[in-house]
Parts: sequence; structure tokens; C-alpha cells
Amino acid sequence: MYKQTALRLHQQFLDKKISAEEIVRYFLQRIEKLNGQVGAFLSVFPERALTQARALDQKRASGGKLGRLAGVPVGIKDNIHVQGELTTCSSKFLANYRAVFDATVTKLLEGEGAIILGKTNLDEFAMGSSTENSALQSTSNPWNLDCVPGGSSGGSTAAVAARLCPITLGSDTGGSVRQPAAFCGVVGFKPSYGRVSRYGLVAFGSSLDQIGPIAATTEEISMVMEVLGQHDVHDATSLPLHAEDYLSLIQAPIRGKKIGVPWQFLQDLPAEAKENFLKALEVMKGHGCEVVDVDLNILKYAVATYYIIATAEASTNLARFDGIRFGVRSKRAETLEQVYDYSRTEGFGPEVKKRIFLGTYVLSAGYQDAYYKQAAKVRVKIIDEFNRAFEQCDAIATPVSPTPAFKKGAIQDPLEMYLQDIYTIGVNLARLPAISVPSGFSKAKMPFGFQIIGARHEDALVCRLAHAYEKAAPYGLEVPPQFDKEV
Amino acid sequence: MDPSIYGEWEAVIGLEVHVELNTKAKLFSPAANHFGDEPNTNISDVCTGQPGTLPVINQEAVRKAVLLGCALNAHVAKYSRFDRKSYFYPDSPRNFQITQFEMPIIVGGSVTADVDGIPKTFGINRAHLEDDAGMLKHFNRFAGVDYNRAGVPLVEIVSQPCIFSSKEAIAYAMALKAILQYIDASDCNMEEGSLRMDANISVRPKGSKELRNKIEIKNLNSFAFMGMALDAEFKRQVKEYVTQPHVDPSQIISQATYRWDADKKETVLMRRKETADDYRYFIEPDLPPLVLEEEYIDAIRQLLPELPYEREKRYISTYGLTSDAALMLVNEKTLADYFEEGLKVCSNAKSLCNWLVVEFAGRFKDSGKVLWESGIPASYVGKLVNLIDNGIITGKIAKKVADLMVENPQKDPEKIVQENPDFQPMCDTNELEAIVDRVLNENPQSIQDFKNGKERAFAFLVGQVMKVTQGKAPPPLINKMLKEKISKIKDQNP
Amino acid sequence: MMSNLNEENVKDLSRLCRIEVKAEELPALFADLKRVLDYVEQLREVDVSQLSPHSHIDEQGIGSLREDNAGSHLPRELFLANAPDQVGGMVRVPPVIKQAP
Repeated sequence: MYKQTALRLHQQFLDKKISAEEIVRYFLQRIEKLNGQVGAFLSVFPERALTQARALDQKRASGGKLGRLAGVPVGIKDNIHVQGELTTCSSKFLANYRAVFDATVTKLLEGEGAIILGKTNLDEFAMGSSTENSALQSTSNPWNLDCVPGGSSGGSTAAVAARLCPITLGSDTGGSVRQPAAFCGVVGFKPSYGRVSRYGLVAFGSSLDQIGPIAATTEEISMVMEVLGQHDVHDATSLPLHAEDYLSLIQAPIRGKKIGVPWQFLQDLPAEAKENFLKALEVMKGHGCEVVDVDLNILKYAVATYYIIATAEASTNLARFDGIRFGVRSKRAETLEQVYDYSRTEGFGPEVKKRIFLGTYVLSAGYQDAYYKQAAKVRVKIIDEFNRAFEQCDAIATPVSPTPAFKKGAIQDPLEMYLQDIYTIGVNLARLPAISVPSGFSKAKMPFGFQIIGARHEDALVCRLAHAYEKAAPYGLEVPPQFDKEV
Repeated sequence: MDPSIYGEWEAVIGLEVHVELNTKAKLFSPAANHFGDEPNTNISDVCTGQPGTLPVINQEAVRKAVLLGCALNAHVAKYSRFDRKSYFYPDSPRNFQITQFEMPIIVGGSVTADVDGIPKTFGINRAHLEDDAGMLKHFNRFAGVDYNRAGVPLVEIVSQPCIFSSKEAIAYAMALKAILQYIDASDCNMEEGSLRMDANISVRPKGSKELRNKIEIKNLNSFAFMGMALDAEFKRQVKEYVTQPHVDPSQIISQATYRWDADKKETVLMRRKETADDYRYFIEPDLPPLVLEEEYIDAIRQLLPELPYEREKRYISTYGLTSDAALMLVNEKTLADYFEEGLKVCSNAKSLCNWLVVEFAGRFKDSGKVLWESGIPASYVGKLVNLIDNGIITGKIAKKVADLMVENPQKDPEKIVQENPDFQPMCDTNELEAIVDRVLNENPQSIQDFKNGKERAFAFLVGQVMKVTQGKAPPPLINKMLKEKISKIKDQNP
Repeated sequence: MMSNLNEENVKDLSRLCRIEVKAEELPALFADLKRVLDYVEQLREVDVSQLSPHSHIDEQGIGSLREDNAGSHLPRELFLANAPDQVGGMVRVPPVIKQAP
């Protein structure tokens, strides 16, 4: 069953060939047997899931209306709320925090009959590119357990790669869905900013965050986007757009579409990644696309711009973690000042602390103009350059990452880690939709990812181009050998 | 120090007024906006700063802010934005407040108020929306935090530093409060904290245009205290300057925050501000900038009710009230409404006004209640005035009737008079004549004094008659009778 | 290009963002911060003189705002269930001496 896509599982459920309970039991069993090797899930809710599954089976039996995701088991990144369950953000600070409301995406998924199996691991507070910053657990890349799964949604992508469940949700602020998806050989989609509600997502970079689906195929991504991609009154940045019919929109042919490639910006791409990228472009040409050159040299400033804006926003978003109303309060603390200072130093990991310091600095008096305001202006320039590029093409293609998944512990220098996101980060700054589709393997049999970026609001077009690519190069269907078996 | 020195200096005052809007729900959170409930019972995920929550603006708060902007004749910004203001404090659910720093919704504007009968127009710098913090309750070994108030919509109104005395400050603040009540933006309850005032004050030699260092006085929770605090602080600052003539003025008073100590009757230093707090203001990424259409603003402007100052002018011109009396009525909207209700039955506006702001006000002063909440219908006060004007009872009797009305708010004064024989006017002229004769017989000297030109002697005789009649005889009648009888008595002087 | 950051700044930041930094942790934190700040200095090269920092942001009109209904509510028990310490329905904290900024 693990090789079935969510679409097929859903259809089989509708056709009464299989029950929701069977599906859920199957994947719970897989998680129980295999999660120990990969560390994808932080928490699992067997009782909750089975209760929902039985209720769904009842509904089916009594002829009730079944949702678009009925019977589909899902994993949720542990920075997205499921009411009553822990939302730890992989941080010691929130190790005991129970969500007091459902995220909008949780409501939408469950409203359409999806069944949440558990929460997946991440870099603490979504800050990282390898999931090594999780304070609670280590996650391994199912293709090579010595390697990282990527980050920050490494738990979500590892879960899908190991087929612990067919669909997970991640969050993407600078590449945190796309990069781990590429590292794990699965599909990861970041919607246009505002396309999916952020209500219930623990905020990191408020003007950059988006929740995105992760799955083995673009059809499954589309299934989820049909449900999640709509306006939400609880999120003032949510776009006033209706849900779209992704599953049928992605079927349209792409002949004649122009793909822009920022060759000069990609000039430092290592050889193996370059080879893989060129092959992917050939696939697109095979579909009748024209590849054109676009100028996105401005993106060499993207990492710097991002780290100023994201950390500035994060430093204020994480101020609420003070040991007062929720979270772990330091036992050392006697005075109020100590409640703040000790709880925060004990609760936050080193990367989180670094980013809070950085963000505080770039906003502080005397420095805000030079750093934050300057970065905000460069961001505007990046958006302008993307807009100009989109006058020449329908979508932009790049690799996802300069290298495939690296070994755990291999990158210690924070800057080197930040530069892992060099191809993904500009997309968040420009609020654009983008997808990572698996595009083959390195000599060491580690996955590569191919990124397609659309103009603002062109989410369906991005999925459509990726779908066409995938039809000719269905790498996402390959399962890592260690997990390619029944348990 | 010679007190006349103070006359050579003037205060320069700016007021920051925080007013809680009386919306049903909070500004960014859908929790209820209501005072006085059990702690943490009017909260939501948003206003307790739960992770994963987002602010969504309450449109009614915006409407009331726009209405206020129109009432202040200010520019209502078609484009305004929100900012995060960062500081750590337990009553702050996110440790940043969402406010409007760079681009507020209201810019400029003014308030006109009479100061000692002379109108003054006070300039307003700006007004903006922001969310209120929760409340801390302090105990010996700990403090408790209640988030009911966290997230309540606030409008902060900042005046220009154009207030030059405590009197002006009070006039401005009262006028602003009245406007807020008239447009139903807030219940302006200073005891409950829905209207809070902070003052900035510096002093300078009279006639100079310089602006010296100012200090801030916080927690002024009544107009009276504000006046006292400003007077005391004015004197303190002047004394500092005058007693240190050789020191650089900018070193004498430095930025600090004070509070008013009502017992010590002095301003007390709370903390110095060597460096300004670094709030790290930056644009609130979770809220798109607010864009208002011209039609929307105009539609609201059309719905402005008659504002306090206009009403005051109308009372002066139409009813001939003094500006002080008109101001007293107008500054409390419910009282002004009550007054106009009373005018439906009685046309003597001046007398009615006096009964409201002097007679009944005095009767309720100690009980802490107010006339318009006492249950006495406005029409009853009107009827009382009519009873006097129609000569049915004297003013003196009316006071007794008023006492009874306070005890029995539902009782019609006409009934009170009917039921009480002591209140019946003395109509029997024979009885009155007998009393007048007796008084005249007992006071021959007074008669003579009066004939010699002493007016006071006549008043004395009137008083004597009234004493005997216990106020039941109408004074005009007493006067007439006395005059007639006295004129018949022979002048003893040849 | 080099940033102006020094260890004193880091101590100031520690006070502003309310995170304790022990003396032995300071050098490493400082080094990491400096590394990133030196890197971001490159943004000064970019000509942004004609640009305003907040253009290209979606705006909202009065129609997209929330109606004034006292709606969704967080029951006190649920709120306090996550609180580290509580008393009398309130969140309990050590005595608060200084005044709010």
C-alpha cells in the first residue's frame, strides 16, 4: 500500500475497496516499525487517528458526503497546530505546550476527511536547513541515514520519502519545504505568499512564511492545494482568492511555454548539480518549452536580504516565548527579569538565539536604517527584477540546491549553512510560488531537485509545469531501498 | 523664593490621552471588550499571544477612529499602517504592541474649548489606533496577570504642546472627553481606566519661544489631580531654574517620568530616561496597510452628531445661559440630554439649569450618585421649576420638595406638593395680613429705618414675615403688603 | 566591509532581547554574529536610492476587516493549562517592581 499515491488510496476508499481504518492501521504500523530509523515523526496519535478513521468508515457506510481527502493519512510539521496535541516546534521551550486551537490548514484537511497521524520533526522554530537544529530529535535522510534530510521541514520530507504516510505539510520561509524535498527525492510546493492561511503556523518570518504540501507526486500536491489554497478570515495577509481546481488545471499541455533560466546567477553551480539541471531542462524542451536567458543577478544579495528581514521579524515573533503565559519557565528564576532571561536562554537552542540577537540588532536604534530598511529596499528591487524577468518568460527554472544532501555535522559554519538556500530564498522574498520536483540522482545515489518558479498567483501553472516534467521523469515514485518493503 | 516670580514663567504642556473604544470585541482579537469580569474570562488565542495567532482588524474600531477624526476636524489618512513596538512586560501578550508609529490614521485636527469664557483652539498633533495591555495585580510576594484588557482598542490622542496652564489642560481634556462621549466612541470612565491621561510639561520664561526639557507625568486619573499635578510640577521646575541661575538650563531638568502622589500632593519621580527606550518600531508584517475610500470617510462625517462646543454655543445664544453654566451641562452629555428633556415641559432654561447644576448636583454630591442616574425623570425637574414660576410654591418650599424628590425619585413633585399641607402656598390673605401687622408692630425701629432710607431694614422685615410663614407665603405678595402698610404708617420724623 | 559590532553591543542586545549570555558563551556568539553581519554589509552596494522600503505590499480596505462581534473565546482553563504558574485565575509571576515602559 505504501507505493500507492494518496489519490489512489482516496479513490480506493471511495470505491469501498479499502476502509479508512485499514489505511490508518497500515501506516501507523509502518511508522511504528520504521520511524526509529529515520526519526521523521516527533509524535504520533494512534487513538485519535483510529477514532477518526472509524467515524469516516461509518460515514461512508451511511452514505454521508465524503471529502476530497477522505481516507488520506497526513503528517503535519510540528510548528502547525492540531488542537489538544503538543506543538513543540522542536524546541525545549515548548516541549510541554498543547495547542489551544486548530490551524486553519488542520481544519481544512480534516474537514475534507484527511486523517492526521502525527507531527513531524523540524529545525527548532523552523530555523535551519538540515533539521540538525531540532532540540528534540534527530532526523535522517531515508536515502542515506548518515545524511541530513534537509530543513527545516526535514521530518515531513523524510516521512514521505520513507513512505510513512503519503502526504505531509511543511512550512517554507527561505526554502524549508523545497530544499528538504529535493534532498529526500520528493515533491515540495511553496504557494504564493498569502495563498494558504498562516493561522495556526507558529510564525518565524511573517512576511515570508507559507505552509506547503509535500508528497511523492504532483497530483498529490494538487489534491492538497485544492483544499488549502483559499482565503481565510483569520489571516489578514491571506489573498482574497477562491480555491482552484488544481487537479484538472495541471493536466493542460505546456507546449510553447517559456522557461527563463538565470544563467549568470547560476554560474557557480557545481558540476554534478549543473549536469542534473541541464538534463531537467532538456525534459522541458522535450515538452515543447523554450528556454530563455533571464537576468536575476540581483539574487546574489538574496541571502543577505533574507537574513536581515527574516531574523528581524523572528526576533519579535519569538518575543512571546518568555516563560510567563506558556512554555517552560526556568526553575532558576526568582525575579521577573530572570524569568525572561533564564527561560529564554534555557529554552532556545544556539541557532535560534543567534537569529534573535541578529534580528534585534538590525532593528535597533541607530542600525535600523542601515540594515533593516536597506534590506527592505533591496527586497523591492528583487521583486522588480523578478517582475522584469517574468516579462520574458512564463516561469523560471533553477536547481533547488548546489549539492545533494550533505552528511550530518558536515556544515558547521552558519554562513555556509545559510548559503544552502541560495536558490530558494529569493522566491520567498518575492512572495512567488515555487515547486521542487525530484530530478534524478547523484553518483552517490542521492536525490537532486529541479525548481520551477512562477509569477505571483501562478500557483496552478507552477504545478502544471512540474506535472508535465514529472510525467517524463517520475523520479518521485522511487522509494529509498531501505524503506522499499512491507513491514 | 518670592512667589511673584512664578508670574514671570509659563508652562508648556502637551497631553497624551489614551481612550478605550467601546466596541463589542477587541481590536485584533474577537474576544469580548468588557470591564470588570473575572480575570482571564474575556480572552482569545490572539490576545493572549498564543503562538500561531494573527491579528485581524475590527472594522468598528476603525469606524470610531474615523468618526473621531471627523469630530476633531482632522485629516483622516486614506492610507495608514501598523507597526510593532517591542518591549518586555508581563501584561504584554506578545511583548510587542501593535500600534501606528509611522503613518497614523488621524493627523492634525483641533479641539475648541472655553477657558474662563474665552474660546481657545487647541491643536492636535495626531491620533492613532493601538491595542491595550493586560492588567497586573500586585501582591506581596508575587503578581498576577489578567489579560481581559489585553487587546482592547485604544486611540491615543496627542496634543500639540499648545497648553499653557493647568486650567487650559483641564478645559482641553474635558472638551475632548465630551467629544468622545458625544460620538459614542468610549464611555470615558476614568475610574475604570477607559480614559487615561499623561501630561508632558516644561516651563519657560514668559514671552520666550524656546522649548526646554520636559518631564512626563503619568497615571493622572482625574481632572482635579491633573490640575494639581501640573500646578505643583510647574512650581517645582520654576524653582529649579530660578535657584540655579548659573547652571546650563538643559542640565537642570532632564527627561524623566513622574507620577502624582495624591497624599503627598507632589509629583514623585518614577524613573529617569537617560536613554530613550529602544522600541525598535518596524512595519507590522501581519497587517496589510489600511486603505480607506473618500466615500467611506465622507459617509461617516455626515453622521456626526451635534458636538459639545456647538451645543454650548447654542445654549448660550438660544437660552441665554452663561458660558460656565452651558459648559457644565454640555461637558456631560447625559446631563445635557437630561436638560433638553426637561425643557420639553418647562421653558425657563436658566432656572432649570440652575436646579440641575447647583441644587440637585449639591444634593447628590456626597452620595456619589448623579441626578441622571437617580431615577428622577427630567420632566419632574421641569415640573418643579414650573411650580415655582407659576407661584404655586416659593423657592424655599421648592428646596424641600427637591429633598423629597431625591428620597423618592419616582414621585411627581406636583403630587408631593398636593399631598403635603406644609407645602401649600399660603393663599389666605387675611392670615398673611395678620402676620404682617404683627411683624410691623414688633419692629417699629425697622420701619423708621426704612423710612430713613435703609433698604436693608425692608429686607429684614420681609425675612421676619417669611420666618413666621415658614416660606409658604409668596414673596411678591409679602413685599406688596409690607409696602402698602408701611406707606400708611406715619413717618416719625417730622 | 566590516560591521561595527563589538562585544559590548552583544551585551546590550542581550538586555534588549532578554536572553542571558554567560561570559564564556559571549566570544562564540559574538564571532558568529560578526560573521553574518560582515556578510550582509554587501547590501550597501546596492543602489536603492529610488526605492521605498514598503512598496509592493498588498493593501486592505475596510471591506476585508473583521465584524465587531464578540466571538471566539479561549476558556480560562484551557489558557491556564499551559501556564507555568497561576493564582486566582491569573497567571502568576514574581513581584513586578519596575513600571511598564
